[in-house]
Amino acid sequence: VLGASARYHRRDQGALWSTHTRRQLQEELVHLQSLFEKLKMSDKFEEKIKNYRTAPFDARFPNTNQTRNCYQNYLDFHRCNKALSAKNQDTAPCQWYRRVYKSLCPISWVEKWDGQLESGSFAGRI
Amino acid sequence: MLLTIRKQLRSHPALIPLFFFIGGGATMSLLYLARLGLRNPDVSWDRKNNPEPWNKLSPNYQYKFFAVNTDYSKLKKDRPDF
Repeated sequence: VLGASARYHRRDQGALWSTHTRRQLQEELVHLQSLFEKLKMSDKFEEKIKNYRTAPFDARFPNTNQTRNCYQNYLDFHRCNKALSAKNQDTAPCQWYRRVYKSLCPISWVEKWDGQLESGSFAGRI
Repeated sequence: MLLTIRKQLRSHPALIPLFFFIGGGATMSLLYLARLGLRNPDVSWDRKNNPEPWNKLSPNYQYKFFAVNTDYSKLKKDRPDF
């Protein structure tokens, strides 16, 4: 960010505005906007996780059999952790998935899958 | 076999509605099975190229014919993006 402000100052010193400068500015703006969105997202989900009661209705799984709902949230929790830590972001929003699968899945399934993950024999795509 | 059926129908024409109703019932069953196989969000046909088709549905998607308590127009996505 310090580097960015130095660049702006140099531009202010009477240089002509080229398209290259404008593009850099736009890229900076997009980058800052995405950072702001991510900050808002973790705040929003922090509040949701604090007010969590139970798994909400999921239109992808409308029937009585919620097996796939449980499994999908389990997968999504691990995928979210993997994706956000690969981007070096805070993995706190992923706790939403953890709460949902803990509400839905039988404990024995969760223990079995955790064991499989640790031993490397988990069959799902994470 | 069709010839036999046609001969029998000509002597007992009251049997014709029977064919309509049985045929209609069988068609409806097959149509329901087809809808279940192709439109049910729990189903995945091609695990290699399209592994989780239920994730492509909008949060408003209504599969059931009658929605008793859920107002589908008010639903929105409430899961974190990643």
